Amino acid sequence: MDNVCEDAVFANIFKTNSKTVFNYIYYKFGNEEKANDAVQEAFVKLWENCAKIPPEKAKAFVYKVANNLYLNVIKAEKVRLKYADKTLKSTNESPEFILEEKEFQKKLDNALNSLPDNQRTVFLLNRIDGKKYKEIAVIEGVSVKAIEKRMHLALKSLRAKIDGIK
Amino acid sequence: MQENYLAKWLNNELTEAELTEFKQSEEYATYQRIVATSEKLEAPDFNAEEALLAVRNRRTLTDSKVIQLNPFKRFMKVAAVAAILIAGAYFYMDSLEAPISTHMAERVEVRLPDNSEVQLNADSKIDYSKSNWEDERKVTLEGEAFFKVAKGKKFTVYTKAGEVTVLGTQFNVEHRGDFFEVSCYEGIVSVTHNGNKTDLPAGTSYLSLNNEVQETAVPINGVPSWVNNESAFRSIPLRYVLDELSRQYNVSIATQGIDTDQLFTGTFSNTDLDLALKSISIPLRIKFKFEGKKVLFYAENTP
Repeated sequence: MDNVCEDAVFANIFKTNSKTVFNYIYYKFGNEEKANDAVQEAFVKLWENCAKIPPEKAKAFVYKVANNLYLNVIKAEKVRLKYADKTLKSTNESPEFILEEKEFQKKLDNALNSLPDNQRTVFLLNRIDGKKYKEIAVIEGVSVKAIEKRMHLALKSLRAKIDGIK
Repeated sequence: MQENYLAKWLNNELTEAELTEFKQSEEYATYQRIVATSEKLEAPDFNAEEALLAVRNRRTLTDSKVIQLNPFKRFMKVAAVAAILIAGAYFYMDSLEAPISTHMAERVEVRLPDNSEVQLNADSKIDYSKSNWEDERKVTLEGEAFFKVAKGKKFTVYTKAGEVTVLGTQFNVEHRGDFFEVSCYEGIVSVTHNGNKTDLPAGTSYLSLNNEVQETAVPINGVPSWVNNESAFRSIPLRYVLDELSRQYNVSIATQGIDTDQLFTGTFSNTDLDLALKSISIPLRIKFKFEGKKVLFYAENTP
C-alpha cells in the first residue's frame, strides 16, 4: 500500500504537482513569492497529515491548502506572463506583422489582468498547463460544469475587452 | 448554441452545425486569435528541486513541533520524558567519548572535564578519553587548536608529528601535512618532535616546515590570530596560506602561473572572503577570480 508518509511517494506527489500549485497561486494573485510560499505551506501540511490522507486525495488536499492560505487575505497583483517568442523569431515575418502580434499580446495581457481571479486561473491552467476541465475542477474543488462556465465567461470577456466592446 | 459553448468549442465538443454557426460569427476571428496567442504564454520559472529541499528542511522542524503540541496521554508524557533523558544522557556521554571535529569554515569551543578550554579551528579534530581523564590528561589532535590548560597534572597533546606536554598554560598546536607549529602564550610547554625535546617558554613559537625547524616570537599572554577571526603568517610558503584560506571559507583554490613556494607575510580575515582574497593577492601582485565556488589565483600578466 502506498503511503504519503513514505518519502518516495511524497517526493513523487511533489514532483507532479508542485509546479502547478505554484502556477495556480500565481495566476490567482500575480505574486511569485506568495506562490512559492503556498507550495511550501501546502506540502508541509501534506507531510504533517500524511498518515490521514490517501495518495489519491493528496492532490486535492495541496490545492485546497494553497488556496485557503490566501483566501480573502491578499489582493491580486498584476499577473506578468511571458510569451515564448520562438515562433516570431524563427519565421521570416514582416516587421509589421511582429509589431501587430506584440500589440495583440499586450491587449491580451491587459484583458487577462482585468478578469476575475477565478476565471483567469481557469483560463491559464488550461492554456499554459494544459489542464483538462476535469482536472481544474479537482484543483478548484468545484464541478466540471462550473469550470466550463468560468472558461466560457473568461473567453467572452477577453474577446470583448480586446475588441473594445463593453 | 449550447450552454458555455466557448468552453465546449475549446474542447472540440461543439456539434457540426454549432461549429459552422460559430465560425460565421464576427467574433470568431478574435476568439481564434486569443486561443492561438495564449498558446505561447509561459508561467514564471519555478525550481521544483529547490522547493522540495526547502519542504524537507521545514519538515524536520515541524516533525519535532508536532510531538510537543500533541496532547499526550499521561503515560506517554512519562515515556517521552524518560526517552528524552535517556537520549540526552546518551548524547552527553557520547559527546564526552566521541571525537570532536570541525568542518571547513567551522570552529568550535570545547570544555574538557578539568575546565581546560580548547578552541578548534576549521577542519580539525580532537579526541580524548573521559574515563581516564583523572589519571592522564591526554588529547590527540589533527589540525589546529588553541589550548588554555587548567593547572594540574601533566597535559599532553599528541599529533602525528610530535607531542606537546604542559602543566598549565595557553598554547596553540597546528599540525597539517609537513607543517607542525606550537606557539606558547603563557607558562612553558615542552615539545617533542622527531625525538628531540624542546622547552618553549611563553612568547615563543616552534615551527617545523619540511623538517626545517625555526623558533619565532609570539606575543606573551596573547592568543593566536585565528581566535580573533584572522589568519596570520610570517614568512610562510604561499601554499600553506592558500590551504588555510580554503579551510576557513570552504572554497577550493587553484593557481595558475604562480610560485606557491614564495614566502608570505601578512594576515587575512576569516570572516570576509573578498577582503581576505585582496589581502593575499594585492601584496603578491597577483589576481584572483571566482569560477563558481572555486577561486583561481593567477599571475597578473597571464591573460
